[in-house]
Amino acid sequence: MATSDSQTSAPNKGFDLLRRRVRGHQGMIIGSVIVVSVLLIALLAPLLAPHDPYQQDLLKRLVPPVWDSRGSWEHVLGTDHLGRDYLSRLIYGARISLLIGIGAALISGIIGTIMGVMAGYFGGRVDMIVTFMITVRLSMPVVLVALAVVAIVGGSLQVVIAVLGLLLWDRFAVVMRSSTLQIRSMDYVAAARAVGCSTSRVLMTEVMPNVVNNLIVITTIEIAHAIILEAALSFLGLGVQPPMPSWGLMVSEGKDMMLFEPWLITIPGVALFLLVLAINLMGDGVRDITAPENRN
Amino acid sequence: MKKRLLLAITSIALATGASGIVHAGKSDDTLNVAIDRELESIDNYYNTAREGIVISRMVWDALLYRDPATNEYLPNLATSYNWVDSKTLEFDLRKGVTFHNGEKFDADDVVYTLTYISNPENGAKPARNVNWWDSAEKLGDYKVRLNLTKEFPAALEFLSGPIVMYPNEYYAEVGPEGMAMKPVGTGPYAVTSVEPGKRYKFKKNDNYHASSPKGQASIGNIVIRTIAESNTQLAELFSGGVDWIWKVKPDQAQRISAQGQFTVKNASTMRIGYLNFDAMGRHSENPMNDVRVRRAIAHAIDRESIVNALVGGESIVVHSLCFPSQFGCTQDVPKYDYNPEKAKQLLAEAGYPNGFETPFLAYRNRDFAEAMINNLNAVGIKTNFEYLKYAAFRDKVQDGGSPFNFGTWGSYSINDVSAITSHFQSGGKDDYSKDAEVIKQLGIGDSSVDPQVREDAYKAALSRISDEVFMFPLWSYNTWYAFSKDVDFTPTSDEIPRFFTAKWN
Amino acid sequence: MIYYTLKRLGLALLVALTVSFISFGLLYLSSDPAIAMAGETASDADIEAIRKLYGFDRPILVQYLDWLQRALSGDLGKSYYFRTDVSALIGERLPTTMTLGVCAITFAIVLSVPLGVAAAIRPNSLIDRLALFLSVMGQALPSFWFALMLIVFLSVNLRLLPTSGSDTWLHFVMPTVVLGYYAAPAIMRLTRTGMLEVLSTDYIRTARAKGLRPWVVLFKHALRNAIIPVVSLAAVQFGFMLGGSIVVETIFALHGAGFLAWESITRNDLPTVQGLILVFSLFYIVLTFFADLLNAWLDPRIRIN
Repeated sequence: MATSDSQTSAPNKGFDLLRRRVRGHQGMIIGSVIVVSVLLIALLAPLLAPHDPYQQDLLKRLVPPVWDSRGSWEHVLGTDHLGRDYLSRLIYGARISLLIGIGAALISGIIGTIMGVMAGYFGGRVDMIVTFMITVRLSMPVVLVALAVVAIVGGSLQVVIAVLGLLLWDRFAVVMRSSTLQIRSMDYVAAARAVGCSTSRVLMTEVMPNVVNNLIVITTIEIAHAIILEAALSFLGLGVQPPMPSWGLMVSEGKDMMLFEPWLITIPGVALFLLVLAINLMGDGVRDITAPENRN
Repeated sequence: MKKRLLLAITSIALATGASGIVHAGKSDDTLNVAIDRELESIDNYYNTAREGIVISRMVWDALLYRDPATNEYLPNLATSYNWVDSKTLEFDLRKGVTFHNGEKFDADDVVYTLTYISNPENGAKPARNVNWWDSAEKLGDYKVRLNLTKEFPAALEFLSGPIVMYPNEYYAEVGPEGMAMKPVGTGPYAVTSVEPGKRYKFKKNDNYHASSPKGQASIGNIVIRTIAESNTQLAELFSGGVDWIWKVKPDQAQRISAQGQFTVKNASTMRIGYLNFDAMGRHSENPMNDVRVRRAIAHAIDRESIVNALVGGESIVVHSLCFPSQFGCTQDVPKYDYNPEKAKQLLAEAGYPNGFETPFLAYRNRDFAEAMINNLNAVGIKTNFEYLKYAAFRDKVQDGGSPFNFGTWGSYSINDVSAITSHFQSGGKDDYSKDAEVIKQLGIGDSSVDPQVREDAYKAALSRISDEVFMFPLWSYNTWYAFSKDVDFTPTSDEIPRFFTAKWN
Repeated sequence: MIYYTLKRLGLALLVALTVSFISFGLLYLSSDPAIAMAGETASDADIEAIRKLYGFDRPILVQYLDWLQRALSGDLGKSYYFRTDVSALIGERLPTTMTLGVCAITFAIVLSVPLGVAAAIRPNSLIDRLALFLSVMGQALPSFWFALMLIVFLSVNLRLLPTSGSDTWLHFVMPTVVLGYYAAPAIMRLTRTGMLEVLSTDYIRTARAKGLRPWVVLFKHALRNAIIPVVSLAAVQFGFMLGGSIVVETIFALHGAGFLAWESITRNDLPTVQGLILVFSLFYIVLTFFADLLNAWLDPRIRIN
């Protein structure tokens, strides 16, 4: 627990603790509110979106949002370069971004957790192999892998999720490994083994429940990471394919108009930023509550 | 005291570094140009980029020169030409011309160049530009004979543009690698510096031969830089770091024009867009095999709207697989109007009342493709859209891997139907119909030297292509140019900016 | 110490080889090298001839070993696009990327370490919240947007800096900031964590109790220990930067190795991509190796382990 280098007398310490918990809670509350809102928006998209996000209108291209003098309430956030309503695309884009984030985190989470726990629990050769694979993965140029996969299999939402899933497992593996290492040396694990529990049982009942907290924290980080990475891949043309409205794709499609109609980038950019910020706050909050001593 | 020192240091630093920011332009007679891709080589015969063609016209000369306004072939390095027979051309060469390195221009240079580049082992590209003659002979110090392999009506077209003359002594010594690092030609601009792929510097050739149809250059220095990112090009234009850019996106061009601080011009190009269908089943058995489906798609695409809203500029809808100015191109062929109802009818007749799903491939103009996909969706056709880089697209198409794709072709600015229609429909790698009748007619057109015979044959081929919708021509492309108000520049419709005609205002 | 070094080196080389082989495989799977080499206007016969001549029809492993053997003797082949030696090409472009990378990581460290320390000293204070906010911004802000915004403000509006190119040191200012802020969040967070942990240890309390001045405690004792994982991270981040500089190099027209890598991948220029991956891997190895050595010097306990 961090200490201030001066006044740490007893009454202040208690007050500090309380203040800290409240402050931590604040972040988590804000984060959760935003994330839940985005989730609801994504789920209720058909009810909320004023227009069909795929419907083009070549006569109403690049209409600015309502606050500009040339804007109108018909398209509150304006239209894109093909005349599609921006607000509707933003709303439906929430689905895509969340799908990608959660899907990629799920895949990479499963891969990384299995590898990390195995490495941490069995040690020795298994650990060496897993560590080696992690290092190789860290040294692989992400762009090359993404491009090769797209070239071989073609681009689509599933491919993007798969590629991200295959690239983001390393942090899961690292954290799960170190958590498992810690747990493995605990008494209750030794006890379970002494009693004769099979390896898989020990893993399931003793190891997993105790690494779950870290797992949750890492998952939130990687969801945010996947969402951002998709935006970067879209910039290079390797992300979600048009006309699907992912926020990352909207940012990359608006790039050419950046100097003239900046709202094309700012709006989805702010959406991405808020979502990522919120997920981070939520993750911090979960960690604070479950294991405050791990605050970093 | 410390503050003054800091200020002093900063000013000095800015001043010394400022040589990077001081903007050239009219004040030091330097035109700064930005292009968006890296040239693989500045050697005319070893690159296929449009920018390479532009630089080629600056640095080298050909025997003839096509006037961009009248399309006439004017004498340049050759003072006259003569068709001895349908397969033999003779040239009288101009005296008193020197290369940038002082070497004299004479028949040796012509013979050496033509022999070198037509040798397939030397790998000059593109092959179709250089594979139509057998040999070149020196008949005198200033007289040359060219022996063609077959009757080749486009001979003069090629000899007035892409076939430029190299200095024989220099090229024999340094080869393509040397020419790529230190180019030497006879043209209105000499190359003073080459940073491969990055930046090229040019200086006006004060010894340029006075009787050249290209005229004398006015601007003293030109610097061409590669800046891949379009926004950066714009930023450089706005901050004065660059004076001239092209291929500006239509929406950007409109807004720059509206701001009024720069000159914005538009010119057509010879490039046209097209849809290619797997008519013969080369890829697989699929809906595109059926002519009714192809005709349906022709009626389903709203080309007019796409041209007006997206392509813009000087672009027009084209009805034959060629650009209207190209020799042999006629718009007098079966046409297809925008008629989604008729499209649905035809689809139903062909057995697809509820439409079908098809892969769809493209490599550029994603938004045009999306607009077309929208049109297709409206008549029930769903697409699995794949957007690849050009190299991957080209490979996939030429491998037979794409039953339905959207591509474009610029004909290398060769003003002849043989540069486009024959490329796509003569049974080659991009041909997905291999129709015997079309191939036969194109063959006649490509090899006859009688203009009337050629026109008739090409018309027959184009009509059949249109009737069967083997390929569906979409629209012509245009280019937007944006440049400083200090520059007086007029674009031509062959997409080859001629900097030697540009002046300061 | 020697044994430790050799073991790390051996492992690192194995990693580089694996990465190189996987990349080789991916490249061959995603494009036909015979077509890439023959060029766009070659006929089918030409392509087949090239396939036989260069042995593209052999099993991938054999081709890889062949390439590796030549690479180890310094021959990285010729670029399919430029037709010049890959080693010369890389040698020309690499210094720009290296300069950019070094400046960027320095900037990131100079920005993040003090911020991380300050945040650790006063947890939950304004500066702590600010640091955390900046770190999220660093991860969530698209780098191309940041780069173009900087260009618009500093170059177009204020005319303080040149827009693009690589001629003078001024040309590197904005690219350094853009590339550096991308690595900054991770370094800041790690410094903060490390400092928080270290500051609560016994020996720090002892040092304070002994009456040492706060600055001495902070830097000579605390930071020296907290910085250890940061050194490794900085090396890793530098490695990422080499790959992640594609966007920065493209936007600022820096024509370095990152830009070359991206363009070569899209042009199917296999030899160049292979050469670049090898060079990057080797740099990464050297970096992490030196980072390990630095750590071992900072903390003798690591050596013994």
